[in-house]
Amino acid sequence: MKIALPLLIAFGLAGAAVAQDAGKSVWQGIYTSEQADRGAGVYAQRCGACHGAALNGTGEAPPLIGGEFVSHWDTMTVGDLYDRVRTTMPQNDPMSMTREEYADVLAFLLKNNGFPAGSQPMDKRSEVLATIGITAEKPASSGG
Amino acid sequence: MKIISTLPLSVAAALMLTTSALAQTPGKEGVAAARTTNGVANWTTYNADLKGSRYSPLDQINPDNFKDLEIAWRFKTDILGSRPEYKLESTPLAVDGVIYTTGGTRRAVVALNGATGELLWQYAMHEGKRSAESPRALSGRGLSYWTDGTRRRILYVTIGYRLVSLDADTGRPDPDFGTNGVVDLKTDFDQDLGDLDTGEVGVHSAPAVSGNTIIIGAAFREGFTPKTHNNTKGYVRAFDVRTGKRMWTFHTVPKKGEFGYETWLNNSADVNGNTGVWTQVSVDEDLGLAYLAVESPTSDFFGGKRPGPNLFGNSLVAVDLKTGERRWHFQLIHHEIWDLDNSSAPLLMDVTVDGKPRKVVGLPSKQGFFYVFDRATGVPVWPIKETKVAKGNVPGEWYSPTQPIPSKPPVYARNGVEEKDLIDFTPDMKKKALELTSNYVLGPVYTPPIVSTPEKFGVINNWAQGGTNWPGGSFDPETGIAYVYACGACISSTGLLPPPAGLSDIPLVVGVAGQPVVMIKGPGEGAGADSPAPSTPVGASSGPPRLAVDGLPLVKPPYGTISAIDVNNGTIKWQVAHGETPDFVRNHPVIKAMGGIPRTGQSTYQIGTLVTKGLVIAGENQFTRTEDRPRGAMLRAYDKQSGKEVGAVFMPSTQSGSPMTYMVNGKQYIIVPTSGGNASGEFLAYALPSKR
Ligand code: HEC
Repeated sequence: MKIALPLLIAFGLAGAAVAQDAGKSVWQGIYTSEQADRGAGVYAQRCGACHGAALNGTGEAPPLIGGEFVSHWDTMTVGDLYDRVRTTMPQNDPMSMTREEYADVLAFLLKNNGFPAGSQPMDKRSEVLATIGITAEKPASSGG
Repeated sequence: MKIISTLPLSVAAALMLTTSALAQTPGKEGVAAARTTNGVANWTTYNADLKGSRYSPLDQINPDNFKDLEIAWRFKTDILGSRPEYKLESTPLAVDGVIYTTGGTRRAVVALNGATGELLWQYAMHEGKRSAESPRALSGRGLSYWTDGTRRRILYVTIGYRLVSLDADTGRPDPDFGTNGVVDLKTDFDQDLGDLDTGEVGVHSAPAVSGNTIIIGAAFREGFTPKTHNNTKGYVRAFDVRTGKRMWTFHTVPKKGEFGYETWLNNSADVNGNTGVWTQVSVDEDLGLAYLAVESPTSDFFGGKRPGPNLFGNSLVAVDLKTGERRWHFQLIHHEIWDLDNSSAPLLMDVTVDGKPRKVVGLPSKQGFFYVFDRATGVPVWPIKETKVAKGNVPGEWYSPTQPIPSKPPVYARNGVEEKDLIDFTPDMKKKALELTSNYVLGPVYTPPIVSTPEKFGVINNWAQGGTNWPGGSFDPETGIAYVYACGACISSTGLLPPPAGLSDIPLVVGVAGQPVVMIKGPGEGAGADSPAPSTPVGASSGPPRLAVDGLPLVKPPYGTISAIDVNNGTIKWQVAHGETPDFVRNHPVIKAMGGIPRTGQSTYQIGTLVTKGLVIAGENQFTRTEDRPRGAMLRAYDKQSGKEVGAVFMPSTQSGSPMTYMVNGKQYIIVPTSGGNASGEFLAYALPSKR
């Protein structure tokens, strides 16, 4: 089926996905391994009870690993995911951690979903993370 | 390479979080202006009618033009609570051009202009600790409408389990109902809940209103790790819709001396709870019967504290609408220990079987059986045979030697996971699947749960979220065909372990060998507007290794289906995989190398269907991105006769409740409740373009 273009523009009201040529990708190593390790601790403390030790999900809390989870964030930005977690998680006590802790736990999630670590730690400013695109599939040309 | 970027969300998100629920907007001018009888078609109950059809005879939107639908308006529910909601399940009602629905983490009630989506009034009850403690928070499935021709009322149950009656014109509580418009459902319950704030009970479903009778069910925390077997009992009650006076109570767990008590050995009915009706109640107004699809007794996977078949657990019960007296019942699963609790609204259908007109009730299920009974007598239309099933070896468990299995219609969804169900795109994948599952038990329907050990973590199953869940089915009253969505790949592993001291008085709860046993949260628990509730134990974990092979689902497609079940003859007329193949499957190197696979459908339990004159309509619950469109989900329409897809339109977010349709000023609309992933709750109203 074909979708008419004007319709797509109308949809772009909330969190519009706008193609952009220059910009960073989650495939370029946007967090450090140390950060992800710290994030593992945060995860065990604050997330694991609901989302499961192996990130598989339990009860109503969905898995935070695997194709379905990544699809939810495909073509969104790391800033979108960061602010979603920051403002709504842990579900029973949102916005209860520091921005650093949220960045660490996000690094842990990215690592578990196969996005590579790099040399620079993840920024903790939403507006900066909003310039880093998430794509489920590794773009052919992206650097490591 | 294309990198996608969006506007920062942070500003918007921060604003949402500081906005508390608005005070009620007074005045009736809004509703008065929006109300019309010009070219209207209404949708006045959760399921379109009390028979559970989800059917509308409208056909302005039809197979030829469905693809042209566009968004007419959208209503975001973020401000209806202290934080946005990501699980919007409500089906709105449409009455004379006005839309009524619940929404938001506060479960507020709103009236909207059906043509524009404009907010006309809003009502919310701030219940503090009582809602924070609720086992069933969030916006719920919706509300009910009642009128005697003069008075017009909107009724719903709050997060804290209070029944509220509002003036449909103003949103103000009805002073003649209960106490200032409110009935406290935690009282006058034939049992003592102790502290009214913490006493465990709530409900997500919309009340059923028939004549002057309003029927309310009950729901509880997730039954994986209950605190006690002696939980609240899920009695069903009816109230006078005008006054809030209680009319009757049906004891879903019989009291001593009542029919069925002896099906709980050792007087165990006295010390077990749950057994509620958390799904929608259907009513045959001619026969004067209400149909209750009762869930399981306490503890979803262990019943050692309740030996015996446990009536009316997992039964379909027909009760007298006026008195609540039982007319007939049929227990679909004896001594339930699989979390295969009754999930769907009973479908009251008039069909022709072997040349004779029959009034039947059909019940879809998590276990993929579609049960059909004469709805006056409860006698199965086609034989349902008591069939020998496997006996388990969990210490202290009581097993039913047989279970009732329908001879017709055939099973419409995966209800066991066996070797033949495992992924086999390549021999290597099949091999890996067999290796992975060697640490688990596989088996057909009613394979009993096991104690988790390092050798066998649990039984791999499609129980808790498989088959048909709370959205239930739908049907076409003209043809007697039911349309039922089912999940075929909502699999998990279930094993049992003793809980640590202080967690539960049940000897075995859900757990995985080698990992600490923790409380498992249910739908919306601790997530409503007044949460945080007391925090969960931290540092804990649960969940076995991932049930996936090379990142792909462990079981074969289809992952989700819509089946057309012909209830005139008990056959499956057609079945289609519903939903685009997930990206991670479609783009998988092995699948690509195979040159692709037929559409798989999606693994989700959130899908409800809508039936119109010519179409079966349902959206998708997963985000996908294809060559010709960006990330989003599709709202799909199928030809009712053939199941052939006749059109699909883009949704910026995923369907999370069931769609409905209505007409105002001669224009037909379809509303889809959406939420998920990054998208918080939003109602999308679709209509055809005015100009083409
Ligand atoms: C009290 C239980 C609970 C805790 C603790 C919790 N979550 Fe959640 N989480 C949920 C539930 C339930 C959902 C689904 C409802 C929703 O989307 O809000 C969810 C959804 C999510 C989502 C969206 C998933 C998707 O598919 O897009 C993310 C991301 C997430 N949680 C991350 C976290 C992180 C990170 C933590 C720890 C800082 C955490 N959660 C702690 C219960 C919890």
